[in-house]
Amino acid sequence: MISLFKRYGTLVGFIAIVAFFWFNLPDTFMTARNWLNISQQISMLAVVAFTMTFVMVMGDFDLSVGSMASLSGITAALLFSQGYPVAAGVAAALAMGILGGFFNGFLVSILGILPFVATLGTLTMFSGLAFWLSDGKTIFGRDIPKTFSGFARGGVDIELAGTLALKIPYLSILALLVLAAVWLVLEQTSFGRRLYAIGGNYEAARLAGVKVRRLRMAAFALTGFGAAIGGLMYASRVASANPTQGSGLMLDAIAAVFLGMTMSEEGEPRVLATLVGVLILGVLDNGLTQMSVDSYIREILVGAIILTAVASSSVGKFRR
Amino acid sequence: MRISKTLKTIAGLAGAMVLATGLSMGLAQAASKVAVITPYLAQPGTQFYVEGFKAAAEKNGWETNIVDTAGDVAAVISRLEDAVNQKVDAIVINVDPQQVAAGLEVAREAGIPVVGMDSGSDPLLATNVTSNGYAMAAETAVYVANRIGGKGRVVMFVFDAFPPVQIRGVVADAIFGNFPDIEIVDRVTPDVQDGGIADSRAKMEAILAANPDKGSIAAVWAAWDQPALGALQAIEDAGRSDEGIVIVGMDANPQARDAIGTGGNFEASMAQDFIGIGNKAAEMVGRLLKGETIREPVVYVPTTLVTSSNVADLD
Repeated sequence: MISLFKRYGTLVGFIAIVAFFWFNLPDTFMTARNWLNISQQISMLAVVAFTMTFVMVMGDFDLSVGSMASLSGITAALLFSQGYPVAAGVAAALAMGILGGFFNGFLVSILGILPFVATLGTLTMFSGLAFWLSDGKTIFGRDIPKTFSGFARGGVDIELAGTLALKIPYLSILALLVLAAVWLVLEQTSFGRRLYAIGGNYEAARLAGVKVRRLRMAAFALTGFGAAIGGLMYASRVASANPTQGSGLMLDAIAAVFLGMTMSEEGEPRVLATLVGVLILGVLDNGLTQMSVDSYIREILVGAIILTAVASSSVGKFRR
Repeated sequence: MRISKTLKTIAGLAGAMVLATGLSMGLAQAASKVAVITPYLAQPGTQFYVEGFKAAAEKNGWETNIVDTAGDVAAVISRLEDAVNQKVDAIVINVDPQQVAAGLEVAREAGIPVVGMDSGSDPLLATNVTSNGYAMAAETAVYVANRIGGKGRVVMFVFDAFPPVQIRGVVADAIFGNFPDIEIVDRVTPDVQDGGIADSRAKMEAILAANPDKGSIAAVWAAWDQPALGALQAIEDAGRSDEGIVIVGMDANPQARDAIGTGGNFEASMAQDFIGIGNKAAEMVGRLLKGETIREPVVYVPTTLVTSSNVADLD
């Protein structure tokens, strides 16, 4: 009972937050429209956080996802501005993500550089590359094709009783698809189970014949791929690309995974728990804005909530 | 034991949030609600706009919610959606409207007017309040032409890649072109990666070297302050500050005001009224709240020519 409560403390906290906003914003918070808004608002962070789970499962993390997201947006926008079709720009951006991810994996797993240092280095490199490619400018306006920016504004219409009831945003659908894919890979394949084995005990996994180096590289590549998807979603939403626009995603993504980790028995990241972490961050932003809470107080509250959640679960661990 | 701890945590969270609610809700009683959303609150200009807006809004008894997304433009779209959902009466933004069009469309659908504060004009905005770049450039260019008696060789520093600065250059071109005895020595586009001072200085040094005779350069017209400051350094370093070369900049940043205050070659710049832009934006919101439509897509707030005679009076 006690461990159950500890395990679900974060979830209970999330429900309490939702209930709190529901109570304080009776007309506007608990509506389908608002939840669709939230789902769209968190979609970019969600994709980056879901795929960040891959490396965090192994006890690693990736600081370069934010600048990779910026770089991916810049890559696509540059190709668009030179007249290449949308598909080519998107493909190049995704390729950039996978390549960058492999490079991270190479540094961490082959050269043996600590992930903190390796990805701090690539954070700076990717960011520099984004600045260099774009000349430090924001690419926007006519350079961004309508089909690309239209994606973030469109959605699947759901009709009820013949009238347009709701529009499910494409961004939210894409985030859900990524969630499903990450869940399948991590929870349902031997690849995923091996990643967890590496996170549990690197040496034991290696001695048991798990090809740790190769797997680690693959995991970093997947995280880079996800960062590139997140960056494209961001660029589509703002119909422009700027060499710094993704940088806020990195800390939030790591925070979301940490929030999620407080919910699992062994403290290992689970992608569905990461979803709860992302939702907590997104709902707080949405609800506190609606309640007109000062944005700086909002930041203090968000930070405090992350710390409380992580502290309450680690205090328990320390006792054990 | 642990249950009570978790419960305490939750209670603590809820308590903190109730406190935050209380703080924000105590102010408001069925007043008009206005959300001000910007990613740039950390920048001085934006702080002044917001300050001016808040002062005017308080007088009108509005409930204003200032939202800073700390540089995150996509979050501006999210906060626009939230503000619409919260059914605010009006929204004010300080960000490029093209980049947040997705959010502005949501506001338009909900019939909530959005006013821009120096954000660029856009059909999705009720209006945009800003300074008139054309007028500012005209004033400094005419100042130069008058000071040199409509006669002499002028160096221009421009930056045509950035639209708000490009329009300044166009106006200065037209004015200098209207004086038959004014000759443009060079139209320089400095490299701005280092902020614009260092490269402008290097460019000006080269121009001075190519024009060594006293009086061969009558004036430097710069589309913003940094190149003017660079040119000033070059002229002083070359020992030519006694030739009476007139330098003008634009924006009247603190460094430029300092230079103007010393009474040297850097003679004039233009000061924008940032607080006034905030005030004017509030006035526009007030008109919109009364149900008026604003015909002008851009509303201009007057700017001031800064010279050594009035630089001390500006704060």
